Amino acid sequence: MVRNAAIVGGGHADWGKREATWKDLAQEAGKATFDDVDGLGPDDVEGLFVGAVQPERFAFQSHVAPLAAELLGVNASKMIARTELACASGQAALRYAWLAIAAGQLDVALVLGVEKMNLGDEYMGETQASMTNVLDREFDGVNGLNAPSFFSMYAQRHMHEYDTTREQLAQVSVKNKRHAANNPYAQFQQDVDVDDVLDSFPVAPPLCLLDCSGITDGAAGLLLVSEEKARELTDTAAYVTGSGQSCMASNSINNLPSMSAWPQATQAAEEAYEQAGIDDPVEELDVAEVHDCFSISEIIEYEDLGWVEKGEGGQFIEDGRSELDGDIAVNPRGGLLGCGHPLGATGVSQALEVYKQFTGEVESARQVPDSPETGLIHNLSGSGSVHSVMTLARDPQ
Amino acid sequence: MTDTDDEVPRRTVTIPDRIELPRLLDFYDLQDADHTRIHEFYDRLREGSLSTTQCADCGELHFPPRVVCPECTSDDLEYVSLPHEGTLHAFSTVRGSPIGMDTPFGTGVVDLDGVDVQLSARIDGAEYDDLAIGDPVSLVITEIDGPTDQQRVFYRFEPQGDNE
Ligand SMILES: [Zn+2]
Repeated sequence: MVRNAAIVGGGHADWGKREATWKDLAQEAGKATFDDVDGLGPDDVEGLFVGAVQPERFAFQSHVAPLAAELLGVNASKMIARTELACASGQAALRYAWLAIAAGQLDVALVLGVEKMNLGDEYMGETQASMTNVLDREFDGVNGLNAPSFFSMYAQRHMHEYDTTREQLAQVSVKNKRHAANNPYAQFQQDVDVDDVLDSFPVAPPLCLLDCSGITDGAAGLLLVSEEKARELTDTAAYVTGSGQSCMASNSINNLPSMSAWPQATQAAEEAYEQAGIDDPVEELDVAEVHDCFSISEIIEYEDLGWVEKGEGGQFIEDGRSELDGDIAVNPRGGLLGCGHPLGATGVSQALEVYKQFTGEVESARQVPDSPETGLIHNLSGSGSVHSVMTLARDPQ
Repeated sequence: MTDTDDEVPRRTVTIPDRIELPRLLDFYDLQDADHTRIHEFYDRLREGSLSTTQCADCGELHFPPRVVCPECTSDDLEYVSLPHEGTLHAFSTVRGSPIGMDTPFGTGVVDLDGVDVQLSARIDGAEYDDLAIGDPVSLVITEIDGPTDQQRVFYRFEPQGDNE
């Protein structure tokens, strides 16, 4: 028994440096989600899936799925779990909800992603220390490999091997922050230009501050329901059409397949494309929310998601092919670079954005033109060791 | 019901201003045989040799060292020495001050000479602008002072010739 499942709505807490706790954020996103969907309330939710990466470190709290269930009055009568897959935890939560519905175990799932990361500037060292342990802490985290220094080496290698330019990296930030400037829940709602990026603080050379996503408090929720339920509720839904993941038995530096490519992204994408019946992603995908944790990441993803030849990712952004009116509108939400990156919430927010692009409910300045009907979300996690790809469409096949 | 009630007893609880670095915020493992089955890696490093495990059954060379071979699941592993020289595959600077770390400092990925091992390491003794991909680097043993009584060590690398 394999059944279709679809997103029928959702909502966000405001993202940024919030004067609010993990529990506050969960409640805000839950309310926004239920407020968005007519015909479904907490009592209807049979499954609750919560993406959360480090509540133990950032909020001194574990077992957060039942905590969220209590806060939102959700019975979760059939299934409840928290997912932890570092930066892809939100998509992992969505994937498990999809599988539960596809398997006929439940009809209505709440997928929630919540992360509280800002403990106050005086405690940033504690936050940074916690972020280094997504790699093998004993052998990699110990060397200070937090996200900026780690991904900066991918930028350095990609520039070294493929002549990708600093300006091309900056163009990714410019594009995504332009979209975020029109996104009311985004952490960074300010336009920047290429010079702003290049002149910003060299956090981890060759990457500068504006090449980096933020340390973000945030939460997002969505309701994923069976096709039968979706058709009762709405005419416009976002159906999951494919989902792939790949890890390649890698996590620590010595075992990563490359420091300028992510073959795991290629494997995960090919799996998802095959399930969705996508032969030519550039031709067939209208909108994509990809994991731009750093500017370099989006450039590598153009290549390894199969949209352009290896090494030509820099040219892809330079030629405007990922703009709203380009070949694939990439990160109209504003991306991680513009919205910030509350780890567990990001994947949920990306999927919700694709749904909102289908329904036309986003701000006009970042609406993908010509009624998009197909979309993709992508997350990498940790050292880029795992890549997760999900395809969505207005119509189930 | 009243807003305030002077009769409600009040007491004070005192939380200490400082506590010793808790075990789970120490980046370095306890390295002795009482705490880790890869203590031989640390014992050899303390004696001046970088090493790792190799599978006696399938020959796979691991890094980091293991207790079970990920290739064939054998637990018949032996320690072998690794070269102390390599070249910089990539490098950057760490800022943002993870707790207990003396930022800023250099970090990088080193290709060890002559073996298929690539490891991350702090890069001492050079600024970012002084380094280039492919630069030769060599091992530095770093002794870790505190917060336990154990004599702990770790490895770093620095540009070759720094000590000559
Ligand atoms: Zn073996």
